[in-house]
Amino acid sequence: MTLAAAVPARRKGDKGIDGSADARLGLMLAAPIVFAMLSLVLIPVASTLWESMHRVNPMMAGTPFIGLQHYRDLLADPIVNEAWRNTFIYVAICVALETAGGIGAALLINQAGRWRRYLLAAVVLPWALPGVVNAVVWGWIYNPAFGLLNGILVAAGLDFEKFVWFNDRTIALFAVSLVHVWRMLPLTAVIVLAALQSIPNDLYEAARIDGASRPKMFANITLPLIRGGIAIAMTQSTVAAFNFFDEAWILTGSARGTRPILVQVYLEAFQNLHFSYGMALSVLVMIASLAVSLVYVLRVQRVTRLD
Amino acid sequence: MNRLFRTTVALAALTIALPAFADDAKPLAGQSITVLLPSGQSPTLAADFEKDTGIKVDLQMLTWDDIRPKLITGLIAGTPPADVTEFDWSWTGQFAAAGWYEDLTPLIDADTVKDIAGSAIFTVDGKLLGVPYSNDFRVMLINRKHFTDAGITDTPKTLDELVADAKIIKEKGITTYPIGMPLSTSEGTSTTWYLLTKAFGGELFDDNFKPLFTAPDSAGYKALEFEINALKAGLVDPASTGLKDSQINESMFGQGQTSIMISGEPGRIAQFADPTKSKVSGQIEAILVATESGKTRSYGLLEALGIPASSEHKEAALAFIKWMTSKDYQIKNYGVGVLPTRTSALKQLNDDGKLLSGAVLVEQAPTVEPLFKQGTPTWYPQFSSAVSNAINQAVKGEVTVAQAVQSIADETVKAQQQ
Repeated sequence: MTLAAAVPARRKGDKGIDGSADARLGLMLAAPIVFAMLSLVLIPVASTLWESMHRVNPMMAGTPFIGLQHYRDLLADPIVNEAWRNTFIYVAICVALETAGGIGAALLINQAGRWRRYLLAAVVLPWALPGVVNAVVWGWIYNPAFGLLNGILVAAGLDFEKFVWFNDRTIALFAVSLVHVWRMLPLTAVIVLAALQSIPNDLYEAARIDGASRPKMFANITLPLIRGGIAIAMTQSTVAAFNFFDEAWILTGSARGTRPILVQVYLEAFQNLHFSYGMALSVLVMIASLAVSLVYVLRVQRVTRLD
Repeated sequence: MNRLFRTTVALAALTIALPAFADDAKPLAGQSITVLLPSGQSPTLAADFEKDTGIKVDLQMLTWDDIRPKLITGLIAGTPPADVTEFDWSWTGQFAAAGWYEDLTPLIDADTVKDIAGSAIFTVDGKLLGVPYSNDFRVMLINRKHFTDAGITDTPKTLDELVADAKIIKEKGITTYPIGMPLSTSEGTSTTWYLLTKAFGGELFDDNFKPLFTAPDSAGYKALEFEINALKAGLVDPASTGLKDSQINESMFGQGQTSIMISGEPGRIAQFADPTKSKVSGQIEAILVATESGKTRSYGLLEALGIPASSEHKEAALAFIKWMTSKDYQIKNYGVGVLPTRTSALKQLNDDGKLLSGAVLVEQAPTVEPLFKQGTPTWYPQFSSAVSNAINQAVKGEVTVAQAVQSIADETVKAQQQ
């Protein structure tokens, strides 16, 4: 019997998988998200892009069209370039630590047996904290006079009496990144944990029968099957690191040595009142963030196809 | 019976009329306004105002550095951040150009403007945008007990004497870091450098706003070198690179951990004198700003109250401004560390012997100059941010003094062109 014979012919008005009624239902279901994306994302992005090509400054009359002038100025601005350098350092540190730490935490939680739920709750806790609260708490930890960190190091016999962690640029960049990592690592762990739990046990049993060691099982079974999850986690880590603001602002203010690009956007728009200059910079941040994330997204797509 | 009847009628009439009398005295009673001011205001401010006028006040207080971002976001959006807000001298150029604040010229009487001389700083193109309530200028504050304990009897008049005294205090182990000076990326860092630039006998800009601080023999250059040398000599706490002036005042100088506040606020003297809030009560004095030459100089950083143009309760807001800048309230408000802006209030406090370090304040007051003779420029916030950032980088050793002052000049020129 052929498929055509098995499936009865469709009559006009039938409701089925390719019927117009289903299409209408699909459109209706998709409409809220399309509306939300249009009104909250696409129209504001288009508006920001358009306004970035004008001179928008409340201290000056009119908003004349100036084309790409702001973008040209931004590329030649040494302070903006310094903020970009800081941001790329933050992205590199945060993505590397969050990915490595997140995979490690997920593997530990996955092995925790009946303690898994409690361990998961403890690991997720920093993620539940707002960025500002997180930064204030770490500000106390790093405090030179009464901070926990210096206290522990001094108690261990090391010379860290009143050590100021933010007076050295390299240490400061790492110390500020660490605060962000502490908050965002749990998200990576949860994403990777979900991927780990979807791996069938049969594969490990078969590998054991074949005499595979634990590192080999990790390299040949676990890692390939959680690649998709890792790529998603890295995408969110990258976007979050590009949007780095709270921790850097609370811990080191607008200090140039640690100033991320979003703080520069804020200063241009809200301190200097050069709104369209700030808008042009925010457009560049969005493009940079999307470009780096696109690498992971394309990777996910390829991995998913292989899977 | 007739008398009883008449008395009853009269009492009844009086009872009915009483609320009407009250309404006449408090015509805006029942209205509510929001007020946004820096932290440290009198805890009874809102209640006192409501008692006097019947107007309810939702008083919001933030640290000085946090007020501006809150104001700007509201003002840009066209929604009032509050009905009455802090209006700092340094914002005058920007806020006037943006047209964000109500012109108070026709609403404030001439006698008040005359009595509050600082009103001129907040007047742009004939429009009064804020009424000064806090008479902030700079003196130096010292912990006299620390000086006496170190065997120092003379008051330093020059910067060299000041550093020599600080070294003695440190050597005697009275304080580890005798000089209090913010070095973070905050306004207090910039204002300290402005004062030191004046103390070295110079100005920031010429009449055409051309920077005067890039040459090695300029006052601004020497001022930054002074700060770095004080830090290297161990006279300033290295943690100051992350501290605002308010934090150094409250957590160090007010705790007796520092002996000299380079950029001292006169209003703080009353605050430090209060034994319930301070550990150095009775120890703090103002001294004239020590300079390179020995001839004292200072400048003013007045704070005012303004009404955003988008406020919906302008009448009640104006009542609050008039009340808070009245002579009586200014005298009362001195108790929480706000120095009166009215000449009459200052005079009365001094006559009554209530103005702490009164003789020094009276002697310093005539030397107070505006920071910008031409009026606060629109690019001031960008300049100030460049200053505090360059100082912060220089004291951390990330850039040299020459690079720091050049970066301030470059940023200023860029800001002037934008």
